[in-house]
Amino acid sequence: MSALLSVADVGKDYAKIATTGGRLRLVWDLLRGRGAEHVFRALDGVSFELRRGASLGVIGENGAGKSTLLKIVAGVIRPTRGTVVVHGRVGALLELGSGFHPEYTGLANIDLAAALLGLTPGEIAAKRDEIIAFADIGQHIHEPIKHYSSGMVVRLGFAVATTLRPDLLITDEVLAVGDESFQKKCVAWMERFLDDGGTLLFCSHSMYHVQKLCRAALWLKDGRVEQYGSASDVTQAYLAFHEEKSAGAKKPIAVAQAAATGVYAIQSLELAPADAVAQGHDLMLSGTVFSPDDRPPVVGIGIVRADGTPIYGFTTDMDGVVPHSLGAGLYAFSVTLQRLPLLPGKYFVRAHAVDPEGLRVFDSVERALFVRGETRELGLVRLAHGWTKSIG
Amino acid sequence: MMPSARTRALLVNFFRRELAVRYLGSATGLAWALLHPLALLAVYHFVFTKVFRAGAFGGTSFLLFVAVALWPWLAAQEALQRATVSIAGYAGLIRKVAFPHELIIYASIGATFALHFAGYLVVLLALALLGEPVHLAGLLLALPLWCVTAIAVTGMAFLLASLQVFVRDVEHVLMPVLMIMMYLTPILYPLSLVPEELRAWVAANPFAWLVARLREGLLDGRLALRWSDAAMMAGAVVILLAGRWIFLRLSPHFEDFV
Repeated sequence: MSALLSVADVGKDYAKIATTGGRLRLVWDLLRGRGAEHVFRALDGVSFELRRGASLGVIGENGAGKSTLLKIVAGVIRPTRGTVVVHGRVGALLELGSGFHPEYTGLANIDLAAALLGLTPGEIAAKRDEIIAFADIGQHIHEPIKHYSSGMVVRLGFAVATTLRPDLLITDEVLAVGDESFQKKCVAWMERFLDDGGTLLFCSHSMYHVQKLCRAALWLKDGRVEQYGSASDVTQAYLAFHEEKSAGAKKPIAVAQAAATGVYAIQSLELAPADAVAQGHDLMLSGTVFSPDDRPPVVGIGIVRADGTPIYGFTTDMDGVVPHSLGAGLYAFSVTLQRLPLLPGKYFVRAHAVDPEGLRVFDSVERALFVRGETRELGLVRLAHGWTKSIG
Repeated sequence: MMPSARTRALLVNFFRRELAVRYLGSATGLAWALLHPLALLAVYHFVFTKVFRAGAFGGTSFLLFVAVALWPWLAAQEALQRATVSIAGYAGLIRKVAFPHELIIYASIGATFALHFAGYLVVLLALALLGEPVHLAGLLLALPLWCVTAIAVTGMAFLLASLQVFVRDVEHVLMPVLMIMMYLTPILYPLSLVPEELRAWVAANPFAWLVARLREGLLDGRLALRWSDAAMMAGAVVILLAGRWIFLRLSPHFEDFV
């Protein structure tokens, strides 16, 4: 089975123009068949393939190039570099009210949109009732679109785009505007569309919807592909990136001067397994801590979410444990978190060096912790639970 | 190459949209398409025959003499003005849907010319009924002449509309230029009244040729074709192709600027 859509090394430059003179210059350059002189690279080196029946979620921050990519696939804009090949009929719903005219009534816009999608007047007439029923906006259908709420515009747009039953459906943030019940209707429609062999290119800020609807995901960052793979991997990495970004990534602080300045300092902190731990498996934390007066320090361990939200913390003195002396003021600690109940995602493990009285924290060291897994559970940790099978 | 069914359906939709939104949508509606030239005609009639007391030209009343030339000029003028800014009216579509952008220009020009030609027919028939010596058979010549004009205007509109997307001054420059052109074209006066040394310059204006040919057909009843007609037709097609070439070069970048 060949690819329905293949995007090869696609890039798009936008002209950076400030003055009218610059615009005239641009027109002249374009007429001569050249590109613009000063450009902003909205998209660069993007490649992926989509087979019939597949679904790909496109995620990324605002301005990452998602909409540009979808517009290129939809044929609205021509890529500056690379090629896009589509074997089939494309239905695109780009942002709010794709291609509606504000002065037209809903009905007239249905005709226009259907003509844009390539339906003949006869086909349009046959489909009109179906579209009106799906949009479900009542008598507003006879009013000009400019009087519609954004939700109603999206309902109508979705109804039109889906009625054509395209081979490839492109949607950009459509679920963000509709109300809850319409969202459900759209998601249900898209699931059925995928079950029937439809192909979906789906852009959303909702990782939930991406995970629900897409098997693969593409993370765009600054116009380039940051990660491309299974939807759950990519969305988890993306969410972790965001949490880390909002927390302003903390780096472990240096401890070399600890002896000279008389502070208790963490010298090392290791995780086993080192790179990532599978959800529900054991995680071992071990390390060494320096004590300037050779009294055994208290070690605190904390687990926080990537944005800094504390999840769980404990210390050696709470548990009645004393770090094991290695000599020369160094003490070793080691602790195992059995059957780690954290849900998949990125976290940080912190080790704190506390004085022997357990009063003052002198030093903290942080390591990233990745928890891998496939689950639809929500939140941070798995809480043991059991459903009551029958009542009474 | 034949346009696809989708392209044709779209063109029809755009054409109807142009008619509806621009003329029929407003309260005064279609009447404006007829009222505006009629009002202009009345004003010219007042100024030239009542105030300046210009006599009849070659046995034709001033009213008929001007009416024959005024409508095609107004059609060309309005078509250029509307088409120049037409791309912006489709910004929402251009940014979100893939379709041939040139359809916008065809629909815009087509709607303007269709309405003004209808107005032209109404006025000529009315003048004929009022006893003015109109040679209605001249319409056989007038229709192709209007078509030649529409073709040339479409070519110019392609250029102006695509430039307007990048440089917003185009529409503001166009207005006074069209105003000046109107007075330099023998619409309100016959070419024979132009001083000898300037006549060649005024006659060089292709629109002067159009006006002269329309008057030959509708006022004099002379319908014979000439070699100059073929030359003008060829010139109009060249303008159309050149304008379209520029438009097609620039239109892939509209999305970023509309």
